[in-house]
Formats: sequence, structure tokens, C-alpha cells
Amino acid sequence: MAGFKVDTGNFAGTTVSFTETKVLIGGRTARLIDLPGTYSISSHDIAEKVARDYLLSGTVDVIINVLDTSLLARSLELTIQLMEMNIPMVIGLNMFDEAQKKGIDIDLKKLKTLTGVEAVPVIAVDGTGVREIFEAAAGIARGEPKQIKPVYDRDVEECISTIAALYPSSLKDGLKMDERFVIIRLLEMDEEFERTVGKMDKGFLEYVIKQRKQLADIHNWPEAGVFASHRHAIVFDLFEQIATVKHRDGMDLRERIDHFIINPAGGFVAILSLLFVMFYASFSLGDLLSGMIERPLDALGQRLTNMTSGLAAVAVSGLYNGMTAGIGIVLPYLIPLLVLLAILEDSGLLPRIAFMVDGILHRFGLHGKSAVPLILGYGCSVPAIMAARGLEYERDRILTMLIIPFIACSARTVVILALAGKYLGAAYTTAIYFGNIAVALCVSFLLSRLQVDMAPGIIMDVPPLRRPYLHLVAKKVWWRLREFLTLAWPVIVISSLALAFITHVGMDKPVNAVLSPITSGILNLPDQTGITLFLGIFRKELTLLMLNQALHTSDVSSVLSHGQILVLVVFTVLYIPCIATISTLWKEGGWKIALYSMLLNTTVALLVAGSLAHIMNIL
Amino acid sequence: MQKTSDTYNQEKNPFTLLELKQGETAVIKRINGGRHMTARMDGYGIREGKRIRLIRTAPFHGPLLVEDLTSGARIMIGRGMAKAVEVSPEKPS
Repeated sequence: MAGFKVDTGNFAGTTVSFTETKVLIGGRTARLIDLPGTYSISSHDIAEKVARDYLLSGTVDVIINVLDTSLLARSLELTIQLMEMNIPMVIGLNMFDEAQKKGIDIDLKKLKTLTGVEAVPVIAVDGTGVREIFEAAAGIARGEPKQIKPVYDRDVEECISTIAALYPSSLKDGLKMDERFVIIRLLEMDEEFERTVGKMDKGFLEYVIKQRKQLADIHNWPEAGVFASHRHAIVFDLFEQIATVKHRDGMDLRERIDHFIINPAGGFVAILSLLFVMFYASFSLGDLLSGMIERPLDALGQRLTNMTSGLAAVAVSGLYNGMTAGIGIVLPYLIPLLVLLAILEDSGLLPRIAFMVDGILHRFGLHGKSAVPLILGYGCSVPAIMAARGLEYERDRILTMLIIPFIACSARTVVILALAGKYLGAAYTTAIYFGNIAVALCVSFLLSRLQVDMAPGIIMDVPPLRRPYLHLVAKKVWWRLREFLTLAWPVIVISSLALAFITHVGMDKPVNAVLSPITSGILNLPDQTGITLFLGIFRKELTLLMLNQALHTSDVSSVLSHGQILVLVVFTVLYIPCIATISTLWKEGGWKIALYSMLLNTTVALLVAGSLAHIMNIL
Repeated sequence: MQKTSDTYNQEKNPFTLLELKQGETAVIKRINGGRHMTARMDGYGIREGKRIRLIRTAPFHGPLLVEDLTSGARIMIGRGMAKAVEVSPEKPS
């Protein structure tokens, strides 16, 4: 909703933290908070908890409840729960076009009469209804909520009012939430509410629990399910009244494609050829682009070197190398990869891949839901690690977070393509990719054996396939590219400048000497690679970009043998995750996980690249 | 304490989602799971009384793709969870 500063994916659970944007509505500035997509407020997973905590923080003036109209029956569940929070609300019926295609027709007037909530049809991908919904929201913000709260069974309602009569003022002041909402949460056996209320007024909680038991006993209902089943009934009733569904026969083109993708034979062919096309395209397109840029840049570099001398020459060459490295080497490979990842995300193919590979991943201790963050990891480890929040269980989450840094992200893909692709050829490049996957799976297998608990069950949505929209893909690519240009590129330029001076005064020697046991000792590489590997911790591309500078050549193969290039690439792909990844791991999983990940990656990298170097030596 | 899935599963051998054939339609009779599992499935609309259709089972002993015939939503469910979903298949008309 909020421009495109928000990462979108065609499934719930991609946005896992909230983002804040300022929007101008009718001359007034409003703070728009985009919360993670969820289907309930029962705080089972992190995304739901994040959303709920924010909604209940008391700072929300109006809720813009954007729901998936094509899945209206299910989306209404959350709507009913939100209505109970007693905060002004408008409904955005997103994917209205999708719903119509499915044959769902909605009576907006009736929805308003029955719920008291204004609903606006929205097609977010082309902007339809976005202005209208903001205006509707601004109109009712901070006012009295107009929604008609759902009414339950007489016995349930009586139980609520009995409890409400004894609602302690300490809770009223302490929680600042709607009384009825709090009581319903408690009657629903919401563990977090029980904890909070128990801390504030133990006697009241015990009273509610007693009433809850009584209510369940009288009707012989399961204690936990009283509200859920009543709410389902209310939702179903509401849905029946406002929506008419016409069922179509047969399959349209999209369903045919979908049918093919989730077919065991067709699916794997489709997925593998897609991934192949993806990497092949980014490789050849990148090659083409970088070839086009290379010559004019070289000429410019030549002229600059001729013009300067002394310390100024050092500065100019450092700056020049850094600038051109960003444009000439990274961008050509990065852009195609980002485009393809964006298409993969927006089309809804990711959950289908998750479905197909779940069985395989299970054997390695992971499961299909981890496939989504793992594939995102091919773009960048940072959003991938954040996407791991979508996994409900701590065990899966940590395992997935530890495996993601092993996946060759776009930065490392650049290293693979520009070194292995250029000097070793396509066969080696492919082998490195598959070897990389094999290493990641082996690590996962070993780690999962160390844990006692079993992989718990998987359940996730598989949204319909959607045509990726060009302007959305373009915006997403631009957004990520901008991140590269504003965050990564300056780091590259500064590092390059620093390296130029460091080499000029001979400071690279101590670093190389310290790392020498690893570089020449284990990996059988020249000592000069030490400084480049060290810089790679800041940004993985730096290893590649600084390599020419460190080896004083633009043709790496004149200094390194093919075996050495292979070892260097493999080591770069696997060793310590970059600083951004480490700090994300720290944020998401704590310092222990971050440290563990660094040790794990370095150990595996030394083992794999080390044995590779050893084998090369024997051969 | 409530009864958990284990006590149920040992008592009898219910007909579950796992036994359903591809393309078959069924009504969910009961979720033989603990509170958390039931709540999790509930969030995805998998609950007692729902009419569902098994679209496909994933290869390599993978999960099941199920269509919720009320909302039209497609959900993938792992085998461990599918085992807890007791269903009664509908006869093809």
C-alpha cells in the first residue's frame, strides 16, 4: 500500500515487520503504518504478534483493513476480530478484479449495513481505489467506531456481561483496550492476554477462567473452541449475505499452467528450466552489458592515469577503480538477477516451488516453507533472513537462518560469474552452483541431526498465479538497485580508495601476513588475496573488485591457476557472511546465532575450499 | 487437561486426508490434534465441517495441496498435519 518502500510478495508473511510512511490526505499528513499480513490476531507466529501488538498499542487512529477479496470468506474472520478491537476501520477489498474473475460478486451496500464498515474496492497493482480508501479512512479517523460488533449466542453474551460487570478499573487504566475485546480474548484462552491480565489482577483472571469453564460445561463445548466456532458461523452467515459465487466449469489458461507446475513431472521440468533460464540470462546479459561498458571505461581510466602522478594518482586510481567496479562489474550482473527474482516473487511461483520441494527438503531437516527464504537468499541474505520470520517454529527459523548465508546471494553470484564464468567456463560455473546447494543441504542435514525435536508440520497458502506487472517489477528492481547504489556502492568506492592507499604505504602486508596461514597455508593461494578476502567481509563483491588491484593485473588468470581461481571462488561463496548479514542475524536471532553462523560458515568454507585446494595440488 | 491427538489416534484408525485420492471431495469430520495444531489449521480455514478437495500430493512424499471449497483458497498441508485431519469422502454424483 505504502508506495514501494515495502517489499511485496504474492503471499502473506513476506512483510514481517512494519514500515512507516507519511501520506498526504486532503491536505493533512498522516502516518501510515503497514503491518505484516496475517489471517488472525491469535499471536501464533511473529508476524501476527507484530501486527496485533501495534494495533493494541493505543496509537492507532484508524485501521485500513486490506483484505483479499478472492478469499473473502477467510479474510472476513480477521475483519470480525478487528471489529471487536473497537478502533475505527475501513475495509479495502483488494484483488477485486481477481474475485470477479473467480465469479465472486459482492454487495457493498449490504456489507456496510450489516457491519457498519465502509468498504472500498481496491486493485492495488494498478492503483484503483487507493485514493478512495485513504479518503474514507481520513474521514472516520479518531472518531467513534461505527462498526456493529458481532453478537454471539445469548449464553455467551450473558457470560460476557457478567464478567464485564466485574471488570477491574486497574485493567481499564492499565491496558487501555476495549473491555469487551479483552474479555473475549480471555474467553478464547488467549495465552498472552491471560499472562498480561494475570499479572495485573490475578483474582479477575481466575474469575474469568471459572466462568469460561462453566460456559463450556453447560453446552458441552470444548473450552477453547467456543468463540472460534461461533465466529465462523457469524462469518459464514455474513459471507452468504453479501457475496454470491458463481462456479465456473473447466480450467482457464492460468489454471492449466498452474496444473502443469504442480504436476510432479512437469513441475520439476518447469522449475529447473526456470532457474536455468534465470541464471543463464543474468550471466549472458551481464556479460553483454559489462562488455559494452568495459572499453570506454578502460579508455577513461587510461587517460586519468596519464593526467595525474604521485599521491593524487593513488587517490584517482582508487576512486576510479571503485566507481567503475560498481558500474562495470556489479550492475550488469545484478540487474538481470533482480528482475528475475522480482518476477518469481510477484507471480506466485515461490509457494509452488515450496510445495514441490518440501518432500526433498524434509530429508535434510528443512521443509517447504524454508524454500521461500532460501530462494530469496539468491537475491540477498538480509531480506531472506527476515523472511524466515514466516516460519512459525523456532527450530525451523534458526535452521533456515543458519543455512541462508550459505546460499550464493547476488553479490556472490557476481563473484562466481565474473571469475568462474569468465575464466573457467559454464560447466564449472554450473558445478559451483550445484555444489553450493549440496553444501547447504549437507550442513542443514548435519545441523538438524544435532537438534532433538522433529520438524513440525507445514501449512501455508498457495495463492493463485498472477501475471507479474511490469511497472511493479520495475519499481521493485529500482528500489533494490537504489539500495545498492546508495549503500553498497559508496562502501565499494571507499574501500577501493582505502585499499589504494593501504597498498601505497605497504599496509596490506601485515593483513596478508596474518591471513597467510589460511591463504597460502590451507587454500594454496597467493598471500595478496588475504586483503581481498578481508575486505569481502564488508561486501562480498569487494573480494572480486579488489582482486585486480591486489594482484596488479586485469587478467586474474595470468597470476592464478584455474585451480586457484576455483578455490578462491568456492571460499568466497562460503566463508563468513558479510557485515549486513551478520547484523541481521544478530537482530533476528541474537548474538549467539550471529557468532555461530560466522564460525559455521568459516569452518565449512575452510573444509570445502581447503580440501578442494588439496585435491588440486595432488592432481 | 484436554485430550490430545495421540489418545485419539491410538484408539481407532480414522480415515484421514492422507487416505483421500487425488481430485476427491470430502467433508472434515474432526481435527485430531492438540490445541495449537487445531488453532493453526483453523487460521487457514481447515476445520470441522469444511468441504475440501484434494488437488494433488507433492512428489517425494511431500505435502498435500487442498482446496477449501467455501473460500476457494488453496492450502498446502504437510503429511504430519494431514494425518490429524479426519474426513469423510463424498460419493461422486
